[in-house]
Amino acid sequence: MSSLRTLCDLAFTAVRRNRVQSSLAVLGVMIGVGALVTSLALGRGAQQALNEQLLAAGVNMIVVTAGNYQTQRRQRGDVDASNISDHASLPPPKSWAEQVALTLPQELRSGLRSAVYRPEDERLFSLLRRALQDGGLPSGLLDVHFEDDPMELHDHPTAKERLGDTLAGLGAAATLTLADAEAIRAIPGVQTAASGVHENARITRADDQSKQWLTRMHGTEAGLPTIRRGWTFPYGRFLNEREVAGSEQVMVLGKVAAERLYGAGVNPVGQTILLWNQEFKVVGVVDSASWAVQPVTGDDQFDAFYVPVTTVHRLLNLSKLNTITVTTVNAGGTGEIAKVITALLRERHGITEQMPDDFTVRTQAEQVLSKGLSPELALTVGGNLARMEEITMEQISASLQRANRTMLALLGGVAMISLIVGGIGVMNLQLLSVTQRTREVGLRMAMGARKRDIAAQFVSEATMISLAGGVLGLLAGLFASSMLEGVLQWSTTISPLTMVLALVVAAALGIIAGVYPAQRAAGLDPIGALRFE
Amino acid sequence: MSVISLRNVTKVYQLGDNTVHALRGVSLDIEEGEFVAITGPSGSGKSTMMHILGCLDQPTSGTYLLNGKDVSSLPSEELAAVRNKQIGFVFQGFNLLPRTSAVENVELPLLYCRPLLPAQTRREMAMKALASMGLANRSDHHPNQLSGGQQQRVAIARALVNQPSLILADEPTGNLDTKTSIEVMRLLQELREKSGITIVLITHEPDIAAYGSRIISVRDGVIISDKPNEPRKDFEVEEFEPLLATGS
Repeated sequence: MSSLRTLCDLAFTAVRRNRVQSSLAVLGVMIGVGALVTSLALGRGAQQALNEQLLAAGVNMIVVTAGNYQTQRRQRGDVDASNISDHASLPPPKSWAEQVALTLPQELRSGLRSAVYRPEDERLFSLLRRALQDGGLPSGLLDVHFEDDPMELHDHPTAKERLGDTLAGLGAAATLTLADAEAIRAIPGVQTAASGVHENARITRADDQSKQWLTRMHGTEAGLPTIRRGWTFPYGRFLNEREVAGSEQVMVLGKVAAERLYGAGVNPVGQTILLWNQEFKVVGVVDSASWAVQPVTGDDQFDAFYVPVTTVHRLLNLSKLNTITVTTVNAGGTGEIAKVITALLRERHGITEQMPDDFTVRTQAEQVLSKGLSPELALTVGGNLARMEEITMEQISASLQRANRTMLALLGGVAMISLIVGGIGVMNLQLLSVTQRTREVGLRMAMGARKRDIAAQFVSEATMISLAGGVLGLLAGLFASSMLEGVLQWSTTISPLTMVLALVVAAALGIIAGVYPAQRAAGLDPIGALRFE
Repeated sequence: MSVISLRNVTKVYQLGDNTVHALRGVSLDIEEGEFVAITGPSGSGKSTMMHILGCLDQPTSGTYLLNGKDVSSLPSEELAAVRNKQIGFVFQGFNLLPRTSAVENVELPLLYCRPLLPAQTRREMAMKALASMGLANRSDHHPNQLSGGQQQRVAIARALVNQPSLILADEPTGNLDTKTSIEVMRLLQELREKSGITIVLITHEPDIAAYGSRIISVRDGVIISDKPNEPRKDFEVEEFEPLLATGS
């Protein structure tokens, strides 16, 4: 140890004796290490940002929607509903429709189509109830699906009133339940599953009834922010488990909705809002965390409000869900998990092999790709997406990762080049130093220094210069990264590993750069060296 | 036992096409406490002799016993250790490290002494050696802040710091004016008288050689004369104070 210290002292003395040249060599290494640290910081930052963006964009998201878009589109035309044997033209929900179709009397058959879509058809209901009592239908089915009993008196709008035409389509079918969501949540590889009921609703400030806003209502669960990764809460928080479990009358406002009711920059947490003439307490405001997504009027996330799904069910006397939003643990796993969900739901809904689904499972990719297309085109796209959906987002993800790696390699390459140049600087300084100090080398040899003592001295000098450059370069890199992040808003990440790596690289550079000059010094002949002028 | 014992030592160099016989069979014994001046014109072989005596070079043939140990064919590592422990060098032109304090210069041989002494011990030994040269108060001066005589005394302190059995002085007065040269020679004489150390002095100046107790003349690689000498004491400058600190 003390010999190491002596070596350091020796090296330090030598470096100090040659201040200007040493500083320049240190500067060279500093630039190299600084470039390395900065490029690693940028690379890792980009990687992390990319992952976050991909997850935020929903690469790992699967949306299960009640009803089946495709069959419904076909069925909407002039297909005779009485032609029940044509499976493809069956109206949703089909799980039980197919089963009961053949056993039901003809009059029920002809009314089946409307039975599904017009729950107010009293006569049909009584027939169905009878069929159920006779054991013709699996028990529990009616409990689940007949959520809007028209005989029931509501002091709030019924599903029919809210939805207008019961043929509203995707999501209007009453086939998904909270129990389905629970079952999906139990699938291995599923990160979260949030059930959702979505409506348009008018909210009113309790303290100022002139302030109203017609917006999107999402009945949801406490886990939703895990799925919506791009969310931030400027005020308050999201719904919690207790509020959802207790179907409490609490509300989280989207930023746009909050501003409409309370104005910009006002904290509405603790205020009371009227929805369906019921009082809801505001517990938070949700805003976008990403600069790429800005809340605007009419959007689905921030021109909206969130209430517990259980509260919606309780107040509207519902049991159905419009959607179940699922995220997978891995972005790449959506295709596989979507299949599992489909199988699970088919089994739960008692759908036999020839029957189409009474729900739609779509990955984010399909949703993005078919957005805004005409129904026929969307159908075609959707049909052809069978395999595509599995790969598209994964491919996008993979190619983005590749692009990021290329950028990282490029930056790393530049850093490597500056490191090499820095190393050459150190080597050059040391070679010069060997020449300048030939007499010193001869003297040290005469005084008893062995070849390896001389070599060790020069290598440790080079290492010390290089390490000094490494430390300064690390600081420069940290500074540059924080500047890039602060001024240019580039995302950077410096891990402890990067810091250690920077110093190790600097030390290794010094050793490599020092070896050749050190060999030259150690190979000097003491007599010649002593006489060297 | 002789400090130095050379037997039929030859040294042959190959310089391009020419074979140079620098030493052609030299036999020589130097006893402890002698102050030997080796003299001769340039090209006589005295420098080669110095290098061999200093273990900086090895003879082509013949044997060299240093304190009874044959060092004529030791590997370079062991030779380095011999130089470190047994020989103190004083060079022409001092050969002090620039921008390095006097005491750090004196410490230099201790850095290569195995096992390595603790830093504090090294510093103490260096300070003691400097003090013995009357330079205790100059320990933190850099060479360029010292006079020529002072620099040479730092160099002598450095040669002495590891308590060698032999001091090899290679043209120690080469760069000095007459007054300082005499001062240095007187210093070496006092050193020998007080501590009984063996000194071998290489010089081409007969005036300087005259300070030795024995003068060996070398020419064309052989010793042409080897006779005892009454050391010159006529220090021309009168106002010398004792140079060596008493009791050192």
